Amino acid sequence: MPRLPKLLQAVLAVAVVYLGFVVVFDFALGQPIPKSLMIMFMFFVVIGVLMVFTFTEDGTRELVAPIRALVEDPAKKRLRNLVFVIVPLAAGALAFNQAQPSYEAPLELRAIHPAPPSSVELYDKRYDLLSLENPYRELETEDPEQFRELVAEGADVYIENCHFCHGDKLDGQGPYAQGLNPVPLSFQDLGTIAQLQESYLFWRIATGGPGLPDEAAPWISAMPVWQDFLSEDEIWKVILFLYDYTGHRPRSWEAE
Amino acid sequence: MMSLWKYLALAALVGLTVGPAAAAGDADRGEGIHAQRCEVCHGEEGDGAGAGAERLNPPPRDFTMAQYKIKTTGFEDILPDDDDLFRVIRDGMPGTSMPGWSDMLSDQDMWDLIAYLKVLGELEEEEPGVPVDFTTQIASSEDSIAKGKPLFEDRCVECHGNEGKGDAAKSLRDDDGERTWPRNLTKPWTFRASDDPKDIFARVSVGIAGTQMPPFADPKSKKKLTVEERWHVANYTASLGAAGEPVNPENTVVKAARIDGEVPRTPDDPSWRDSVPTTFYLVPQIIAEERHFTPSNDTITLRAVYNETDIAFLLQWDDRTKSIPGDSQAEKISGPGLAEDSVAVQLPVEIPEGMVKPYFVMGDTARPVNLWQWNSGTTDAPETVTLVNGRGIDNIEERDAAKAGVGANGSWRDGTWSVVMTRPLATAEPDADLQFVEGKFIPIAFAAWDGSNGETATKYTMTTWYWLLLAPEAGARPYVVALVVMLLVAAGLLWWARSAARRAGQAEG
Ligand code: HEC
Ligand code: HEC
Repeated sequence: MPRLPKLLQAVLAVAVVYLGFVVVFDFALGQPIPKSLMIMFMFFVVIGVLMVFTFTEDGTRELVAPIRALVEDPAKKRLRNLVFVIVPLAAGALAFNQAQPSYEAPLELRAIHPAPPSSVELYDKRYDLLSLENPYRELETEDPEQFRELVAEGADVYIENCHFCHGDKLDGQGPYAQGLNPVPLSFQDLGTIAQLQESYLFWRIATGGPGLPDEAAPWISAMPVWQDFLSEDEIWKVILFLYDYTGHRPRSWEAE
Repeated sequence: MMSLWKYLALAALVGLTVGPAAAAGDADRGEGIHAQRCEVCHGEEGDGAGAGAERLNPPPRDFTMAQYKIKTTGFEDILPDDDDLFRVIRDGMPGTSMPGWSDMLSDQDMWDLIAYLKVLGELEEEEPGVPVDFTTQIASSEDSIAKGKPLFEDRCVECHGNEGKGDAAKSLRDDDGERTWPRNLTKPWTFRASDDPKDIFARVSVGIAGTQMPPFADPKSKKKLTVEERWHVANYTASLGAAGEPVNPENTVVKAARIDGEVPRTPDDPSWRDSVPTTFYLVPQIIAEERHFTPSNDTITLRAVYNETDIAFLLQWDDRTKSIPGDSQAEKISGPGLAEDSVAVQLPVEIPEGMVKPYFVMGDTARPVNLWQWNSGTTDAPETVTLVNGRGIDNIEERDAAKAGVGANGSWRDGTWSVVMTRPLATAEPDADLQFVEGKFIPIAFAAWDGSNGETATKYTMTTWYWLLLAPEAGARPYVVALVVMLLVAAGLLWWARSAARRAGQAEG
């Protein structure tokens, strides 16, 4: 099989990575990467590809050979003249676009599940988050009937308070979700409550957005401080409901 | 890009034309699914008295009343077509908390639910009537829309308003005495069904059961419309959607354009025409006591311009009622507790250097915000503008708006408020007021109060932080940069080719 010229290989490698990004983020996840982030990613990809291809001296020579030939080979005069017009024009157009003032909003990266503190002060009590457990969890096996009742009470708390944002299907698509930024989390996702312990949820619910550490941008999270509205009991019941409705299991220390 | 409501319309169209084949449902199974998925809103007995009911407007349906809004059967039939019921359960009802269930329930689950709904409404023996005949459809055209317009003006404006924004001239209640508002027809994404002319034709023909929306196919009605007239009015109604400003979720920046002359001080100043509108969702304040669960305002559209010394914002939002306390018409529509309408712009006192911003609900103790607020006025006192600095929702410092130079002027027409707010770019108190800077992204948020909907103090609708950018004109810079880059690249290439040629010459000679 004839080998592709090195230069073409390099260009193809970069193009494949770029298309990969587009396919994964734009189509599969439906969340296009912001342009500025994409430029940064692609910058590193190009550097990486160049490093691989110029690892040996021969490699370098082979890579630049076609470009060299174009500039230096007298037989390629026509093509050269054409390229010498097109390349400066393209560079000019690119520079023109770059020099336009940008309306793209600044990027804000934030931690969605920051590390919890080891203990928190709530309801005038101190809770040790490392040992805190849902007091109702054991009823799941010990008294299933009472457990169902508690789940149903949790469902009422949820619909009265939470579904406006997190959605009554717990999919993060409540009636007001689209007006918020950051958007409310979907509990159906494997990346949220399925990854967390009940004590973590208790902390996040009771202290809300303002209780987040700075790396999680507490100033924009619309999550209310639920200890102002709900009792400790109600929070534990709504947590039961979250796991029951989604079919996820809380993470526990024993399982690890 | 196709906007969301177009997708919805398309989906509805597909749903209307290829509707699912009705399957026999098992009411007992349906009861179980209802208990698991629907009961929290529709109630244990299906009577609409679920836990969520009190905080929802419109309230969840009472299935024992057997009244359905989305019906393509005759106006006298109680029972919708099975496909109608299937469709609302599958797709939900936009503009309400009723979600679509296709991602969570199978087709058979939904047919079982339908069987159970019929048991609840005692409709098992009922036969669906003659369905609405869509084969009579008159395709939308300029001609048909023009014919629909006078019919709309004659039959529909008394409830839907001159421009279709639902600014009813009378107070409407549904059969349960619950306050209802005629739909804002310029916002098709809030239609319970869709703005496809077929859907509108069906609603206009059959009416919307349980509400004041009447059936225009009723031959006994003084206002009845012929089949042909109903298609024209449906086509006209669908055309109103073009006037709405849908939210583009990717656009998070209010772009203030630089202008040469004076900044506009009134909403109908022609210089607004050149500025780009940006629309955001308004969501009710449900974070701090006292919470507000039943908002009426849902979006706000912003424009901004500035010159060397001043900045001006144009805030526009559809509000069905001009709430002027003391005005008898306004009081009749709103009922007791009429307050002024109001709107506010929120800005950080200091432009944040890093990521850290003030808390988006009226700031925090470390990082205060400016709140410029306009109030619509009463019959005794004209409109007012106030300035407060917020350090949290319950930590508000009143300041002198006139001293800071904050001005405002508003007007209401056909269901839309337009309010202009202005201020000098710089003020005498840089520690207490934001100083506007060209070219920097400045956090900005908005809030609105509908005084006819019990909205005062902490009961209001708001946005989260978005951005404001005073965009300087690019001027000649991009051209100069492009030219320089072009020359440099060309010179570099030439130099390379020349030196290569020289080397080749040397090698030969
Ligand atoms: C989060 C609350 C909520 C849940 C959960 C919910 N609904 Fe609804 N539903 C509503 C509301 C609110 C309305 C009334 C909307 C209106 O009147 O505009 C409604 C209306 C309806 C209607 C009336 C449609 C019509 O044409 O008038 C049906 C049928 C219905 N729901 C079925 C269901 C079924 C079946 C489920 C469970 C699978 C369910 N709903 C779950 C809130 C909910
Ligand atoms: C007496 C008052 C009244 C009149 C007259 C009236 N409507 Fe309505 N209309 C309403 C109300 C109220 C609603 C909202 C019902 C609800 O709560 O779901 C509505 C809703 C609608 C909807 C929304 C359908 C959906 O899917 O959400 C359309 C479209 C509509 N009307 C069109 C018309 C047209 C066209 C006319 C004139 C031919 C008209 N209406 C006349 C009161 C009226």
